[in-house]
Amino acid sequence: MSARTSQRRDYHIVVLGAGGVGKSCLTAQFVQNVWIESYDPTIEDSYRKQIEVDGRQCMLEILDTAGTEQFTAMRELYMKTGQGFLLVFSITSQSSLSELSELREQIIRIKDDENVPIVIVGNKSDLEEHRVVTRSRAFAVSQSWGNAPYYETSARRRANVDEVFIDLCRQIIRKDNSSAPSYEEELVYGGRERKPHRHHRRRKKKKEGGGCVLL
Amino acid sequence: MVTEKEHSLRSSIHVAPLSINKDRSRGASSASRHRRNTSSRSSSQTGTESTSGQSQMTPPATPNGSQEDLSQQIELAQPVFHNFLRAFYPFHPTYAVSDTTVTLPLNEGDVVLVHSVHTNGWADGTLLISGARGWLPTNYCEAYDPESMRNLLKALLNFWDLLRSGVISDSEVFGNQEFMRGIIAGVRYLLEKSNCLTRESHLIQSNEGLRRNRKALLSDLSALVKTAKRLQEYTSSVPPSHADSDEINNTIDEMILKAFKIVTRGVRFLDVLDDDLRTRQQQPIHRLMATVAEEAYNPPTPPADSTSFDGAQHGDPAYDAASRRSSSRSSGSGLSGSQRLDEQTKRQSYKRMETKHPSASSSRPLSSRPSSVHIKRQSISHRLSATIPAAQRQNLVSERLNSSHDTFLSHLGSFIGRLHLQSQSSADLISTVRQSVTAGQDLLKVVEVICAHDNQSAEVLDAARNAMYDRINQLVIAAREIITLSGIEDEDVVMPQQNGRLLMAATSCVKAAGECVAKTKFVIERIGDFEFEPQNEGLGIDIASIGAVTEEESKPSADIIEDSPPEPASRPPPPPLIIPSYEKPLPQVPLASPTPEDNFARLSPTALEPVAENATAEQQMMDSKQEARKSLLPPLPKMTSPLMTQEDYSPSEHSSAHDSEFQASFRSGSIAISNSGTSSTYLSGMRDSEQSMLSQTSTRATTPDISVYVPRTQPSISELSMTGSQSTLADDADDGESKMLEKTYAHELMHNKEGQITGGTLPALVERLTTHDSTPDSIFVSTFYLTFRLFVTPTELAKALVDRFDYVGESPHIAGPVRLRVYNVFKGWLESHWRDLSDHDALSIIQPFATEKLGRVLPGAGKRLLELSQKVSSTDGPLVPRLVSSMGKTSTSIAQYIPADTPLPPTGLSKSQMGALKNWKMGGSNPTILEFDPLELARQLTIKEMTIFCSIMPEELLGSEWTKRSGSNAVNVRAMSTLSTDLSNLVADTILQYDDAKKRAVIIKHWIKIAHKCLELNNYDSLMAIICSLNSSTIIRLKRTWDMVSQKRKDMLKGLQAIVEPDKNYAVLRRRLHDHVPPCLPFVGMYLTDLTFVDAGNAATRQLPGLGDSDGMSVINFDKHTRTAKIIGELQRFQIPYRLAEIAEMQEWLQAQIVRVKSSSENENVQQYYRKSLLLEPRENMHPRPSPINDPTGFSSTQKDKFDIFAWTHSRDRGNNVPATPI
Repeated sequence: MSARTSQRRDYHIVVLGAGGVGKSCLTAQFVQNVWIESYDPTIEDSYRKQIEVDGRQCMLEILDTAGTEQFTAMRELYMKTGQGFLLVFSITSQSSLSELSELREQIIRIKDDENVPIVIVGNKSDLEEHRVVTRSRAFAVSQSWGNAPYYETSARRRANVDEVFIDLCRQIIRKDNSSAPSYEEELVYGGRERKPHRHHRRRKKKKEGGGCVLL
Repeated sequence: MVTEKEHSLRSSIHVAPLSINKDRSRGASSASRHRRNTSSRSSSQTGTESTSGQSQMTPPATPNGSQEDLSQQIELAQPVFHNFLRAFYPFHPTYAVSDTTVTLPLNEGDVVLVHSVHTNGWADGTLLISGARGWLPTNYCEAYDPESMRNLLKALLNFWDLLRSGVISDSEVFGNQEFMRGIIAGVRYLLEKSNCLTRESHLIQSNEGLRRNRKALLSDLSALVKTAKRLQEYTSSVPPSHADSDEINNTIDEMILKAFKIVTRGVRFLDVLDDDLRTRQQQPIHRLMATVAEEAYNPPTPPADSTSFDGAQHGDPAYDAASRRSSSRSSGSGLSGSQRLDEQTKRQSYKRMETKHPSASSSRPLSSRPSSVHIKRQSISHRLSATIPAAQRQNLVSERLNSSHDTFLSHLGSFIGRLHLQSQSSADLISTVRQSVTAGQDLLKVVEVICAHDNQSAEVLDAARNAMYDRINQLVIAAREIITLSGIEDEDVVMPQQNGRLLMAATSCVKAAGECVAKTKFVIERIGDFEFEPQNEGLGIDIASIGAVTEEESKPSADIIEDSPPEPASRPPPPPLIIPSYEKPLPQVPLASPTPEDNFARLSPTALEPVAENATAEQQMMDSKQEARKSLLPPLPKMTSPLMTQEDYSPSEHSSAHDSEFQASFRSGSIAISNSGTSSTYLSGMRDSEQSMLSQTSTRATTPDISVYVPRTQPSISELSMTGSQSTLADDADDGESKMLEKTYAHELMHNKEGQITGGTLPALVERLTTHDSTPDSIFVSTFYLTFRLFVTPTELAKALVDRFDYVGESPHIAGPVRLRVYNVFKGWLESHWRDLSDHDALSIIQPFATEKLGRVLPGAGKRLLELSQKVSSTDGPLVPRLVSSMGKTSTSIAQYIPADTPLPPTGLSKSQMGALKNWKMGGSNPTILEFDPLELARQLTIKEMTIFCSIMPEELLGSEWTKRSGSNAVNVRAMSTLSTDLSNLVADTILQYDDAKKRAVIIKHWIKIAHKCLELNNYDSLMAIICSLNSSTIIRLKRTWDMVSQKRKDMLKGLQAIVEPDKNYAVLRRRLHDHVPPCLPFVGMYLTDLTFVDAGNAATRQLPGLGDSDGMSVINFDKHTRTAKIIGELQRFQIPYRLAEIAEMQEWLQAQIVRVKSSSENENVQQYYRKSLLLEPRENMHPRPSPINDPTGFSSTQKDKFDIFAWTHSRDRGNNVPATPI
């Protein structure tokens, strides 16, 4: 394999969303070894998981503050460390989607970067009969957010769970690569340097159908 | 914890020093090997024995060399590993044993606990009647596993493993009587199955022999219980370090012997019962015996698609023996038959196999059976046992299975991971598929070996293995097609859309592998573990072809060429599945009288010839290998004492010889399902009980009227259980027999390695809650009270408790304490854990129970319970307040942290400050926080927060109650988060109120100091709130302001920030809170996240280890609730108020400030502050955002951002793609 595999990098992913959208299930499903019977969320490694993306070993450190949604002042502290964000809503709740835009604004504010890697996740896709957020509505949001990829997942059935994390990780890696020369530059210019690349990617994604993976 | 000494395997009494030692690393020292029947377990001996290990087993040399044709010898296959064997012929080695081996003399009817079986047919076993351990010939024995004895035998295995393993420390094991439960339940099961549970039963009354045997059985059981009690007292009274280990070890030895004796008695009891049935010549009295009888006279004909059981049944020499016995018995000519048999044996043994075979195929069913035996057994079969440390299991096939499964899964995992990528190179895809498939092949190979080891298993595993094979193949095909189809222009060849099929293929691989491994494990359990010897056969999955296709049909990149195999294959051939052929002839109805050939075939299985169908090339190779090994592995001894056999083996005597040696009677169970390795029930059921909640509630003065209604004479729980056990001790065995045999659900309980209960059915959990002989574990009790509503309705719980109250009546000796405990559980529930809203319905069960059942037995208790049940509905809140922190550490220890007489620290409020506050109250100007000392501000904040924190009820933390959007009962948790947020807002507000950057910097500095004081007070919650605010985008962006904050303060802030950093799952904060001494105010949010994830990450139920083929029963996942309760307990540990003086004026002022910053909408606040922040220090760097040209959505924020500092307020509009208009 290529030399890239040898170096392992840590990536910080933050999972955000209103309470009750099942984001803790999503995270638990992802980090949990499905073959382990008992999950202990109180240890240091509870939210770490190694995956391979494009031949790279990536250690994902996931920050999911499920249960503390009401501590709104804490949000920005959580966001600060994140390099990529999963914005989770439930397809059974319209308000859970609208709450995401606030979160996104906050992320952009604290990261001071409009192109921060984001993946939009419509969870509870197993509850199709209770769906209130149409796919087109979710796509519209995705488009308005600079074509942030939109996935529908079912944490309960473990559908598309890994996909969302890997997609996000891939975005972070791309951003990393394009801004590799200088992190400061990235800060100052807000990712302007990456634009051609991003543009390229978007075009391609359009061909692929918007980069959205649906069940 | 467990010391090293405790870890070392206990050497056993009466263990013939075999030259097997499971610890291969140690050198051999044969000096101690010949010692046997050593009755003491002195530590020196322990040492010697443990070092006497040798890497090779050396079974005894063949006693006779001339009788058999060695060239014809093949080993005896034993497809099923039997944990217990029973000798049907005596074996008295007359030859001199070699220095290194000990053979066990056997008497007919002796039952042996088997540890391992060597390839040549010798087994390492312990004789139950004497406790002696040594080698014994398996062809003298039959499997022993009658249905009604099964539980007792299983319990004996557990008992043996537990007492001999030393994995758990003595004090843990013997601290209570849990470890006795299996044996007791086993005896009960035997008696129940044989309809002899009570002395009054018809069978017992009518048969003197049965009565006597039953009595002996129970008195032995009673003796064992007494010994166990003695040991418990001994280990608890003497500090472990001073406990005489010899004394304990001797007692343990004694107990093992006693347990053996109980089983021996059970065997004899069953024999007598069988005889009784036979002599009566009437319809079998109970179903079980009917089955036995049927089988005895008509061995079943397994259908073609028979299950593993049937498969196991035939081809099993023990079964043969049993059937032979039954047929000879039915013919009534057993005596002469056996004589003839042995003569025949001698004669026949000189003959060649060919002479025997033709006859075997005709009318003698049993001789034909060995032909089905697949002779691939190469090494030693071990009993799956917890006593083999992991390090020594490496070479065992079970371990190989696990490790290859793990590898396969991890490869598949990374493969699946790759599939989620948006695209990937075909080279990478090929290599990951290849890795996965190779790993899958390895796994299949292990399964092959197991199949080869035992052809009956092959049938069981066939479907699962084929399924897995197919799945892997499908994966290969899918991968190939995708690579073939995708036009390879650049590296990104595989799009996620195409991955669907691969993903499905890979996922079904995981599933198929899981099923296959589960089935294989079951087979290993059945046939016994053995050393792994891989077969070098290909599995026919053409992984190379995937890459090859790429090469052929496309112009691959250099990578791919590199990876591709030299010779391209266009399409893999249909994979040949290599399944060892096996032959399974149907057993025929045995003839009335065994023929000599028949006997010969059975008794000299070593002389059997491989069946032609099975003789594949590979097998022949193995055969030759075995021949080469012949000199190392001696053949089995021949039957040497026909005369003795004749005397002992006399079925006609059965009816009369009740008190003679064990009767040889037919046992139904040639089908042994050994489950000893998986069931940890008894092994780990030990746990030191701390002071329990139950006894707390019962001894605590509750309400005044309890002394009125509960008579003084009523003993406390502890007194009762003590007198209970005393009376048991004092009881004469005859009288106390029924006491041993309580009904129990213990088998429906699951424990982890630490002995904590991890799962169980409701009756099992309730039983655990109300054990008679030990106070239940306090963690268990408090977890149960706290969380039971999550897994059972209150009505169901009440019913289960009443059931417990009822069925314990069958065991009068424990009924007293158990019923009192049932009452106490009800009482504790009503007094301290009642929630009328949800529990009210249960009153309809509790009240009748109190007046009728309970009232009849314990009138005082009944009255009290009724009273309580009437009170709970009318009273709000618990009748008896729960102890704070009843969950975690005991609250009693808290007093030492804050003695009540400690003077309150003097307040740091000067007169002028107080004056300012008073002035404000009168309507004067609002003092700023700068006017107050950071310490005093921190103190008052802490008091304010702690008051709320202390009022958090455990119920608020269950079932994500606090996250409910409406109607949440978690008022205090909500108040906590609100206060936290308000405090953060206050910080921002105070900073942003000044236009002057210098002034803002002063305020920031002040807050840093306050945060620092909060840390000194261990108030992490307020610390978190302040840090969050200082780090918010609103404040952190005020560059000019921060420039005026000194580096010293900034460093201080950095230090504080590091403490509450959520990174690595709050690693720093957790470390600080661990073992933190109260008073302390932890960050509540962390607990809330933990609770949320315990709920999300753990299923509601778990499976009991299955018995046989079937899946285990689904039980409550108590582990999940224990984890929940543990987290709540951690939180409760800190619910102790600070000893700080409250300043009313300051509290009032603080409250007013908080109310001032409180906004109706949370988001409004944030936006408002951010807007203010932008006004104070406008963006310095107006770097343009993505231009419309580069933004395909056509949405441009650049221009707006440049001129509109309020751009962020349009977030929602943006979301809707509505053009935003500047305000």
